[in-house]
Amino acid sequence: MADHTVTVSRLEEVVSTADEFDRVVSQALPVLLDRATGYTKRFLRETGQWNDDIEHEKFALRWGSEYLERFMVCGRSEVPCRPLFLFDSLVAKQHSKPEPFCYHPDLLRPLGRFLDGIVARAVVSRDALIALYHHSYGWGAGEVIAVTGLNGLESQRIYKNFRRWRESGWQRTMDEIGLTKTELAELAGQQQRHRQRFNGEAERLIRVAQAHYRKSEPDHYPCLSRPQWREMFAQGYGCDYRIWHLALCLDCIQTAWGLGSNGSLTEEKPRLELLVRP
Amino acid sequence: MGYEEDLEAYRSQLLQSLSSRPNRSVSGVLDPIQVYVNERRVGELEGAGMDATLHAKSLDHIETIQLRTEDGTLLGGLVASEYGYRTSRIQLSSDAVELCVHNTAQGGSLSAVFIPKPSFWSRIWSRMGKTLTDVADRLAIRRPDAAIAHSMRTVAFTQALLAVMVVGLVLDRVATWMGPEQMMTTGIQPEALRTVSVTEMEKLEQQLGELARMQQKVGEALDFQQKGMAQLHLSMAKLSSSQESVASKVVMVKEEMEKPQENLEPETARTTPHHPANRGVVDQEQLEVAIRSLTEDNAKLSREVASLEEHNQTLAAKLHTASVNASKAVDPNPERLLATRGDVARTNQSLQVAESLQNSPMQPFLFWVTFSEGTSQESIDQWVHEKKGHKGVLNEGWQEVRIVPPAVPPDRFLEQIRGEKIVKAARIPE
Repeated sequence: MADHTVTVSRLEEVVSTADEFDRVVSQALPVLLDRATGYTKRFLRETGQWNDDIEHEKFALRWGSEYLERFMVCGRSEVPCRPLFLFDSLVAKQHSKPEPFCYHPDLLRPLGRFLDGIVARAVVSRDALIALYHHSYGWGAGEVIAVTGLNGLESQRIYKNFRRWRESGWQRTMDEIGLTKTELAELAGQQQRHRQRFNGEAERLIRVAQAHYRKSEPDHYPCLSRPQWREMFAQGYGCDYRIWHLALCLDCIQTAWGLGSNGSLTEEKPRLELLVRP
Repeated sequence: MGYEEDLEAYRSQLLQSLSSRPNRSVSGVLDPIQVYVNERRVGELEGAGMDATLHAKSLDHIETIQLRTEDGTLLGGLVASEYGYRTSRIQLSSDAVELCVHNTAQGGSLSAVFIPKPSFWSRIWSRMGKTLTDVADRLAIRRPDAAIAHSMRTVAFTQALLAVMVVGLVLDRVATWMGPEQMMTTGIQPEALRTVSVTEMEKLEQQLGELARMQQKVGEALDFQQKGMAQLHLSMAKLSSSQESVASKVVMVKEEMEKPQENLEPETARTTPHHPANRGVVDQEQLEVAIRSLTEDNAKLSREVASLEEHNQTLAAKLHTASVNASKAVDPNPERLLATRGDVARTNQSLQVAESLQNSPMQPFLFWVTFSEGTSQESIDQWVHEKKGHKGVLNEGWQEVRIVPPAVPPDRFLEQIRGEKIVKAARIPE
């Protein structure tokens, strides 16, 4: 308790340099994480979205950690400052935005957490974005390149994205969303036992997550009609648009199906076939 | 695993992940850096060892900038100011990204420049010129905008001179080693040549070491001088704040003196005649107190300026000595040494010119003077004109005079003044 008080009082004092900021904040990570988690809990309570269960507790912890990570990086540029007050203002600023995070009661269960976690990660990580094609449709790098109609240089990046995701990205994302090995095994079991029902539920939930996180796309890339997609593929522009939007929109992947492969993809339009493992 | 343990394990995992965030060197050096504005991706910076830029405009105010690797690792970020410019240099292992955000009422714009790790030769060159660059930076800090161009020219000239000296020295050594006598005896006395070369090299190393020490000393001296200038700026800020407070008091007093006149004019008959007069007296006293404090501050500042000026001259002399010694250490050729001395003298001259430019907008030096009986007003005016000063108020025979701060300390200046024929007495305001 005494240590806690000392840490808090140190955080209330002015820090003058970025190094000092790093030192003070790194010594107070547990205090700051609990603080951000507490604020998130209060926000959920005040907006009628709170339940006293482990899923909500984990959700609050996850977002507390997210805010703390941003604070650790951006706060360095705010010196001289009082870290505690800066941290409070940063969290308050996040919570003053409309829909600061993607909340849906079904997204707090293991399947929902998995989907919410990888879609949220896709917004900030190109590796996760490319891996989303794999987790949603079971595609490998070659199929992603064909579907999105990428050129040679971009293709190399897709292979690297896949490799990094397999090596570390997937595990890190699972750790961040707090999915245990038991929960992952349970998901795999459900998929084997009730494949159709499992994929149907996954499709319903991934639409909720995608609708929320698509707002984070560059300039809100909107959904396009098939002629518009065709023109984009034919002219060869909008490479980023294709990669980002098609990964995050189940409807548009069906609309644009076959345009990037010059007719080489003869299969039926893709349907969600969730893969839990990378 | 129970509820509490599960939660505690998750919390520990998050804390561990936060405290061991990988940097870009771990994540992949050549991958592009993803740039996010207000948590939306706006583009990427190529990080393949080339300069890359990204410009982004937003209709909304830019609040945050984030730089991430392709695997999503947060590398750096910036919280933009609500209006105006905000710049930041984010160090990524050995590379860096310079961010410049500009927020206006119409929206925000971002400019991001990727600066790769400098090449080997760039590092060598920058290390050679580091001390001189430091000098240039300090001079740029010390001087107002008008003098920056001049100081930069001086620094560029000095750098060019240093480069020429180094090249000349190398050529000289090469010529000595590869001269005709040496060429003739190369096959005969290789051992002797090796000994001579090693000796020469050691000597050269010693000289370079000495040069480095000299440069360090110069750097320290300039640091000290910079601190002095910072103190001066602080004093000037204090003075200007006190001036502002005096000005505001004067305005307040004027307003208050006008108010009673306006309010009381229609009802003069009903009010007591003593009240406005008393208030006027009180206000005048306040004004006098304020003026007194201002003159005190002014005198303090003048004293500080004089002491800093003296210190400046000492440092300039030290710089001169250090430069000459450094030149000696580098080049034993007396002809080149003479040329170097000339250049150093020119550098010092330009320094003095820049300092005089810097000194010109300083606060005036204020003193009081009484003149001998029978001195005509014309003589007084002429005397003030000779001093390039301005007359202030006349109080009980004491004439207030403001002049450009003298080059000598105030006490010495007053002695000089007192020695003049028409001056009876002179003093600095207490």
